[in-house]
Amino acid sequence: MNALAEHLRISLRLHFRNRLALLYGYLFPLIFLVAFWVLYRHERVPLLRHMGELLTVAVLGGACFGLPTTLVSERERGVWRRYRLAPVPVWVVITSTVLARYLIILTAGLLQLGAALALGMTFPEHPLSLWVAFSLVAFAFIGLGLVIAALADNVPAVQALGQCIFLPMLIIGGVAVRLAALPEWAQHVSAFFPGRYAVEAIQGCVTGPGLPGLRFSLLALFLTGAAGCVAGARLFRWDAQQRFARLPGKVWLLPAFATWLAVGLLAEIRGRIAVPADAEPPPAVSPKTAPANPAVAPTPSPALLAPVAVAPAPAPVAPPAPKKPDPVWMKITAADWEGLDYRVPPDHGVVSPMAAPDEEMDDFVKEQVDKVKERMATWSPGADGDELYCIRNLLYVAAVPDSIQLPVERYLPRLVYQHLLDTYPRENLRKVLTYIALHPLEGPVLDDISELGVEGSAGDPMLVRERAYFYAIKFLARVTGRINE
Amino acid sequence: MSDPAPLSIEVRGLRKAYGGLEAVRGVDFTVGRGEIFGLLGPNGAGKTTIVECLVGLREPDAGDLFVCGLDARRQPREVKRRIGVALQSTSLQDKITPREALRLFGALYGGGVPADELLARFDLGAKADAALDTLSGGQRQRLALALAFVNRPELVVLDEPTTGLDPQARRELLAAIGRMKADGCTVLLTTHHLDEAEELCDRVAIVDRGRITASGRPRDLVAAAGAPHAVALRVAAPLEAAVLARLPGVSDLRGDGTDWRFAAADATAAVAALGATLAASGNALVDLRVRRATLEDVYLGLTRGEEVAA
Repeated sequence: MNALAEHLRISLRLHFRNRLALLYGYLFPLIFLVAFWVLYRHERVPLLRHMGELLTVAVLGGACFGLPTTLVSERERGVWRRYRLAPVPVWVVITSTVLARYLIILTAGLLQLGAALALGMTFPEHPLSLWVAFSLVAFAFIGLGLVIAALADNVPAVQALGQCIFLPMLIIGGVAVRLAALPEWAQHVSAFFPGRYAVEAIQGCVTGPGLPGLRFSLLALFLTGAAGCVAGARLFRWDAQQRFARLPGKVWLLPAFATWLAVGLLAEIRGRIAVPADAEPPPAVSPKTAPANPAVAPTPSPALLAPVAVAPAPAPVAPPAPKKPDPVWMKITAADWEGLDYRVPPDHGVVSPMAAPDEEMDDFVKEQVDKVKERMATWSPGADGDELYCIRNLLYVAAVPDSIQLPVERYLPRLVYQHLLDTYPRENLRKVLTYIALHPLEGPVLDDISELGVEGSAGDPMLVRERAYFYAIKFLARVTGRINE
Repeated sequence: MSDPAPLSIEVRGLRKAYGGLEAVRGVDFTVGRGEIFGLLGPNGAGKTTIVECLVGLREPDAGDLFVCGLDARRQPREVKRRIGVALQSTSLQDKITPREALRLFGALYGGGVPADELLARFDLGAKADAALDTLSGGQRQRLALALAFVNRPELVVLDEPTTGLDPQARRELLAAIGRMKADGCTVLLTTHHLDEAEELCDRVAIVDRGRITASGRPRDLVAAAGAPHAVALRVAAPLEAAVLARLPGVSDLRGDGTDWRFAAADATAAVAALGATLAASGNALVDLRVRRATLEDVYLGLTRGEEVAA
């Protein structure tokens, strides 16, 4: 154990003396985070919804590039050959190397998480579960890194092999491009990449149900990591003169990649392939939105708790909800809306913009707005049903144009707000808007308002939910007197 | 505790091929306890392969290897515990310090000589906490040697230990190796430097094309080879080659005018005759050097002059 501990200690110390390793291991993930936050889609992104991807990319970099690059370059230099002259078994070297890399990746992940929190991200829903999920993600990719190190005869080969795994994982493996945005065939392919399960596991602990709903992803990551570590240990080469092509026991590579295949097939059999957009993580809801009344505590969408499965697309227009004798929003109190987080994007920005009451609009926009105004009074989703149902649908009338950045996006929220004021008592309006803000995942998403003369849909129901949430907050700020117009 | 084995190394019928190339073709030799034994030979002769088989870096195709009384093929880990090795083809991480390296390898051996003791012994105290990539070639070699001693070995195997060192560092290293013998340690070394083999080694084996072509004490090898003395001279006035060729036992005559070299089977007789000849012709001797045959001459004869020194 002394050998293991000493090698672990030295590995960590040497890592922190390597400026390039620090640059790649710590600075790049931070740059990636900030760049993503600032630049993505020309608007600021709620980081909480993307921590799955961001942390997975950080782990991938450290495990699939950093680890094999270090192992192979040391092998090329004759460092492992020197170790081999000592009576040290392979498992000691592998275990200490894996532990050292895990700690390096964990600190990089914590740094990235800390930076995200500093940028205003709210705290993950399940921090301990997140640590467990992150550890399994690191384990899976460290196993993969060991396999890359076993396969590569030199450092350029590490880069080539790493890219061969990294890029497909980013593009069609659900790491950089959201699964919901991928075509169906790519969703099938993604089930065979561990990156998908990494994002699911981490994101599920940041904004989702935590570990209980992630059993399949966690199992997939564990199996991937275990198979990779076993194959990496069996194929470990002390000496650069031992070329992979001449290495005995190459059959040990099979378990490593057979695990990917088995996990993918299992996902196919269990119907975990297609991802309904509604299963994406919910919008960032600050802990400050915790209700004062436990009876109205926010609940995650049932879709998030169920295994990911093919689900029918939401109907363009939802059927009228049955009338309830005692609406749940009636329990909302002033303490609930006082406890909400009112820090939402500004009215003049690109996310959830809202025109001033007296703001002029050009003729084309005015024509569109007038058309909506004329139809809205009799528009069934906004007029037929209980208050909660109608107000939520009316919020989508503001949210959909914002999601797809239509020219009317600034003006329709103002129109909707005025319609709400004209239609509902203020007290009810405050309660219903508060209830919606506390339960942003409830009810079907309305992503098609063509009946009102507004064509186009966002294709991303979670984005529409998020924007509806922002408008609920903005309207509440006005009806509760926080904003006086 | 059992008596230590009388032989530190016993090699019988060692063979090793790489593809179609037979690098070692049936090598036998023994090294007694406390001996300094040298393996000499040109590049590609097979001496590094012999050493790598002994220390467990390569699996022989055939043959028996016993190190410190243990079967090196069946008990490689036990052998590694009892030997120290410094190979040219190994390295350490650029940013590791000598102190860290010694502590690490001490731990890999399950506890070894305290790092400070080895740092002092190999004169690395001043550089104990400096990164490896800031050390000079001599300091790196001393560190490699210190690492070979981290487990208090019974046998130390050194592969080309002085290659790349400046003369001062080389002298210091040779002194350190000499002290190993005084400490009771057995040393197996490979070298291209025949002078240092002659100076350090109790016995040597000359390896050529995968076989041992001669072995024994350096002076015995020289005597057995019957190699002639080498004579170099300079005279005041030009001299005809025919005059020198008539001297007794002269061969391999080279030179021109006033500077000449030749080999003499009997140096005493040749030099006496040379003096008489010069006196008779009124010429004067300006410089005269007579060198006895060396291990290098034996080596050149046995390896046909291929790649004498790096």
